[in-house]
Amino acid sequence: MKKTKLGEFEELVLLTVAALQEDAYGVEIKRELESRLKQRLSVGSIQSALKRMEEKGFLTSRFGEATQKRGGKRKRIYSTTSHARKVLEEMKEIRAGLWQAIPAVAAQWKMI
Amino acid sequence: MENDMKTLSPVHPPQWPLKFLRLILKEEYLEEIEGDMEELYSDYVERFSPSKARRLYTLEIVKLIRPNLLKNFASFRRGSPLPMFQNYVKVSTRGLIRQPLNSFINVFGLAAAISICVFAYAFARWTFNRDQFHQNKDVVFLVTSFADREGYLQQYGTTPRPLGEQLKQDFSQIRNICRIEDRPVIVKAGDNLFHERVRFTDPSFLQVFTFPLKWGVSSGLKDLNSIILSEPMSEKYFGTENPVGQDLLVRLDKEHVKLFRVAGVAQAFPAARSLDFNFLVHFDNLKTLDPGYEASDWAGLTQATLVQVGNPQDATAIQQQMGKYTDLQNKAVTEGVHIRSFQFEPLATLHLRSSNIRDSVFRGGSEENIVSIIFLVAISLLMLALACFNYINIAIATAVRRLKELGIRKTIGATRRVIIGQFLTENLVVTSFALLVGVALGRFVVIPWFEGLWNFTMDFRFADPLLWIFLPAVLLLTGFASGIYPAVYISRFQTVTILKGSVKFGGRNPLTRTLLAIQLVFACIFITSAVMFTRNTNFLAHRSWGYGNREVVYAVAPDALSFEQLKAVMARDPQVLSLAGSADHIGKKHRPVTLKFPDRELAADLLVVDAKYLETMGVTLKEGRVFHEENKADRQSVIINETMARNLGWSKPVGETFRIDSVRYEVVGVAADFHSYSFDQTIKPAFFRLADPAECRYLTLKMSSKEVYDRLRKAWFQLNPEVPFQGGYQEDVWGNYYTEIGIHGHVWRVFATVAVLLASLGLYGLVSLNASGRVKEFSIRKVLGATISSIGLLMLRQYALLFGVALALGIPLSYYAIRFVLDFAYPVHIPVTLWSVGLAAFLLVTVLVVTVGSQVMGVFRNNPVTGLKAE
Repeated sequence: MKKTKLGEFEELVLLTVAALQEDAYGVEIKRELESRLKQRLSVGSIQSALKRMEEKGFLTSRFGEATQKRGGKRKRIYSTTSHARKVLEEMKEIRAGLWQAIPAVAAQWKMI
Repeated sequence: MENDMKTLSPVHPPQWPLKFLRLILKEEYLEEIEGDMEELYSDYVERFSPSKARRLYTLEIVKLIRPNLLKNFASFRRGSPLPMFQNYVKVSTRGLIRQPLNSFINVFGLAAAISICVFAYAFARWTFNRDQFHQNKDVVFLVTSFADREGYLQQYGTTPRPLGEQLKQDFSQIRNICRIEDRPVIVKAGDNLFHERVRFTDPSFLQVFTFPLKWGVSSGLKDLNSIILSEPMSEKYFGTENPVGQDLLVRLDKEHVKLFRVAGVAQAFPAARSLDFNFLVHFDNLKTLDPGYEASDWAGLTQATLVQVGNPQDATAIQQQMGKYTDLQNKAVTEGVHIRSFQFEPLATLHLRSSNIRDSVFRGGSEENIVSIIFLVAISLLMLALACFNYINIAIATAVRRLKELGIRKTIGATRRVIIGQFLTENLVVTSFALLVGVALGRFVVIPWFEGLWNFTMDFRFADPLLWIFLPAVLLLTGFASGIYPAVYISRFQTVTILKGSVKFGGRNPLTRTLLAIQLVFACIFITSAVMFTRNTNFLAHRSWGYGNREVVYAVAPDALSFEQLKAVMARDPQVLSLAGSADHIGKKHRPVTLKFPDRELAADLLVVDAKYLETMGVTLKEGRVFHEENKADRQSVIINETMARNLGWSKPVGETFRIDSVRYEVVGVAADFHSYSFDQTIKPAFFRLADPAECRYLTLKMSSKEVYDRLRKAWFQLNPEVPFQGGYQEDVWGNYYTEIGIHGHVWRVFATVAVLLASLGLYGLVSLNASGRVKEFSIRKVLGATISSIGLLMLRQYALLFGVALALGIPLSYYAIRFVLDFAYPVHIPVTLWSVGLAAFLLVTVLVVTVGSQVMGVFRNNPVTGLKAE
């Protein structure tokens, strides 16, 4: 969390990769995220997030199988690193902690 | 997944976006992203119409353009070299400002050389642009004829009179024919009379040639009573107003006067032309005004016949069928010149050929200009070389000031190539600057100067695409030629030795000395040329013509009656020493004839003169006697010149005889040679025959006072108020001749001055650098008691060998070079003496002594302490 920041979109992509497991490749990640977010995403945004995170060490990748649908080109299957999982856990905890703190101040929120 | 095959086979994604992707995306991402895109496309195809699928797909591709997916465009990432070049430019401009003297020598020298290049370019452009403004230049041909005259086959611009009409009837390919016939006329404007030449021509003239009209219509020429004027003539007779519709009174000869109506005025003619006109009238006017002109006479000649065809090949085809016309001409001509063949000369290249074509209405000159162009190109290259040498010498001598900079640059990673690039860039900055100054100098000084000398315009303009190829070419050539050696030389130094300060170099560079020596040799040649051309001008101006041209005036009468009247009046004048009449006149008119001998023929010039002519003109008689007017037998006597006697191999010419057209002539005397053409031409065989008094038109007077000329003019106007006076001083007969040789001298002096200036500038730059490098040494010498002269000698000694070698080479080279040039340019010229070469050497040595002297004086004026303290 300190050195390498994880943006909101990146976090979503990272979680999708973790969720998709063996199916975590570009277009599949896009489809998954689109259906969950109910919003259209571009290949460019997904790819650039993936590459960024791979550089930062959140992801590793390897070539998967090639299908005819892909014009005979191989997929690149992404998987999360242990570091990424640790960061995700941390984020989740921070968020959960924050959510727990909410009821105490909810009344004041309404006042504003 | 099962329907993959079904959807994929009919529609493939458009190919160009993929190609684009391959171009911009990082190699390692390509396979994955391409695959993703294809999968995505097949998804789209399932869901949307093909066109929408393609649109969305393309949009996706565009969205892929993101910094972290793109290729590393190395140059963008590492930074462009532009800032480095900006730095070079900055460094070199600073250098220019810091060393004003050296910068001046470099920039001024290069600029002077470039201005001469620009001038050479303008001159060449003008020469080769001649007549190129005619739109039909490739399909218009001048019909020329070949005939034997003076013993060899010559090309003539004249053709049989009916040829034009006949050609048009016989060949359907001919679009237009155009005949030209010039006649002298007198134009009356108010009370003033002017001698003019009118061009009688066919109405097609203005279609064949491209001379757009300023006012009026070109079809006006179809009318017999119309006249078309050139712009200068329109201004002369009608001022600046539009004269179309006004009348002009033209007198063709004593009997015929005709009133013409102005139908049009031509626009100002382009500067580069070999044909133009003052007045144009319909060709048929010749018949009404000159009844003797028989247009269907094959023996008669027209001054020019031009044909315009559909395409250039037609002309070749027609030319092959011209044989029948030579037959027609040969049958018609009994005694006279038989035409051997015809040849079509295209208008586009006529200007290059016209000096070979005799009696042509097209002015020649381009051929002589080509010689001038060769000279000019040689001179501009020499000047450029001189300027480049200066640059190289100064760059090498000043390199010591930049060694530290070089050392640092090399230390922080500049390779040798980078350093060479830097120096060449800097050089280009200097050269560009010089180019600007040089073009301005050329445009506003050199070209107007030359145009003023010869009184013409080269029509130099900047809106000329070729110029914008030429100038960058000059820039690159000069920049590279002057910059490459210093750059290579300077970049060779090792970083460590530079920074340690142990680099040893200075004015001892062998190349520097060689270049300086070459400069001196060139300067020597140029100075010698200037001296020789000036002396030659003097020599030619004072050379004898073979007759007295200073105290002789002449006048031409249009007919026998007015000649007799004028002669009678002038004979009473007390200041007229001698007066003669003649049908021909030296320098003005002579008749080419062919003498027939049993074994050979000789072409000679015949002058028909009266008995007093030789005495009046001051032609000396070498042998025999002059003519006797009262002796009837003298009608068959001739006096020949020495050249003719020599040509015929007669050692005792008096008493010899020869025939011309069956008349037998006997030689009674031999006259000394005289020039009846300009000095440029060698003396031809010539002879005098006694004139019948009725033949005489030229009145020649030898006078004791210049006032006679005024009285001659006055007498003329009293006798013939309707006819303008024609005549003048005999020395003005070749008026252009004196001006021309004067101009040659002038041009060479200017070139020599520039060359000497360049060489002395270079020398000055080197000497001053050398002196400033030795300030400490000189200061110590001074402190220890050295005198000015001893230090001066010390410096001079350094250049003594260099000068010795340069002059030892330069003097003989100049001698032979100038002899070659003079032999080339003038058939007769002043003998080249070593004296003029000596003057050049003396001048150069003076420049050296003055330069060294001024530097040594500078050193001595300063306190030696400052010299020693200087770091």
